[in-house]
Amino acid sequence: MQPDQEMMDLMAKPARNPNSAFRVYEEKAVIVLPERSETHLLNPIGSHIWDRMDGNRSLREICDSIVAEFDVPADRALADLLEFVATLKKKGLVI
Amino acid sequence: MQTRTDSLSGTAAVEAVLSPPAGLLTEARGDHRPTPLWFDAARVPFGDRSLDLKFGPVRFRIDGLAPNQAADLAGRFRPFLDAGTGAQRVTVRLELAEIDHFLREPAAGTVENYRLEHRRDEKGLAIWSYEFAGRLDLATGRARLALVEGEGARFDRGLENFLRVLTASYILDGGGFLLHGAGVVRDGEAHIFFGPSGSGKTTVTDLSPHDVVLSDDLTLIVRTDRGYEAAGIPFGMAHHRVPGTTGSFPVAGFYKLVQAPQVRREPVPYSLAVAEVAACLPFVMQEGAQVVIALDNLARALTQIPVYRLEFRKDPSFWGAITRGH
Repeated sequence: MQPDQEMMDLMAKPARNPNSAFRVYEEKAVIVLPERSETHLLNPIGSHIWDRMDGNRSLREICDSIVAEFDVPADRALADLLEFVATLKKKGLVI
Repeated sequence: MQTRTDSLSGTAAVEAVLSPPAGLLTEARGDHRPTPLWFDAARVPFGDRSLDLKFGPVRFRIDGLAPNQAADLAGRFRPFLDAGTGAQRVTVRLELAEIDHFLREPAAGTVENYRLEHRRDEKGLAIWSYEFAGRLDLATGRARLALVEGEGARFDRGLENFLRVLTASYILDGGGFLLHGAGVVRDGEAHIFFGPSGSGKTTVTDLSPHDVVLSDDLTLIVRTDRGYEAAGIPFGMAHHRVPGTTGSFPVAGFYKLVQAPQVRREPVPYSLAVAEVAACLPFVMQEGAQVVIALDNLARALTQIPVYRLEFRKDPSFWGAITRGH
């Protein structure tokens, strides 16, 4: 990833698909996307990220919150976060 | 960081139409989608007969039936005829659609997942598929159902599918849900086997010849003062068999079917259990306003009912794993 591309991505403020519905049980989010008739289950870290994708927080802020709450190096957290968000976008869960 | 996404495929590929089209009917690729104006138009009922049905706690009055339709349905749904005098929860008036089809049926020799579309607007909830289009006024509990034919398989399928959707919706009000699962009663307790088409639900019922089969496809889970109970509905079973009982039975467990060489029962952790069972709730998971209600009902039920992964082969030995507990 080019530095400017990374910068742009980190400034992005991803938002949950407004058509999605979810509940969190035992720190795991169960997400339903009616338009695709799919159900997804996220583990606690995925659920932490999902909870913060409200369209107001940047990826940088979300990454910082992961580092603060979980035992993970910043560079690893960032790489995994970007990959995770890309996965959610492919599934239509994030806009 | 180990970020994991577990994708659980839904039980039905439903195409939801989110924005109402203009005009009476919009046509695309041979599909005729009814608009709000189409639903507003006057249409002729098949006749003046009525029939009262009761599925678990959900009560229907079917109006606008011709004499032959009323007689046929009364015979087919006999155990579910409702002789109660209480107010009917939902009234469905049947009418002739005067159109050959709504959604285009797949060409001969081709297969597609049953298509069901819906739209919620200020007039209520509209639902349509190949052979029917119905709209439910949510405020009054009155629905109009237009069917492309007055008898035969397309009439049966259209009426049953509309009633399935309404049942799945109304059962939510009482804290229950309709599950894409087979229900089998052994020793007075209901065991619910769930999974997508082809997972073995009908096989399990065939392997339980001495037990009471509530359904091999769709089972009502009803919340009562005594806990959660399972009940059958008069359609959704292979070859149009109707369950022999309208009774409800305490639910002993939910079992996700997995065909395997061995037989084994393992508990499913709670959050995964909610996701797994939620993926087998038909209809309501395609309707945004109902998803959260369905999830809440399900999550509450699963605090009381265990969910297991049941590896089984095509013989009755799985009952041993259920009764032995491992």
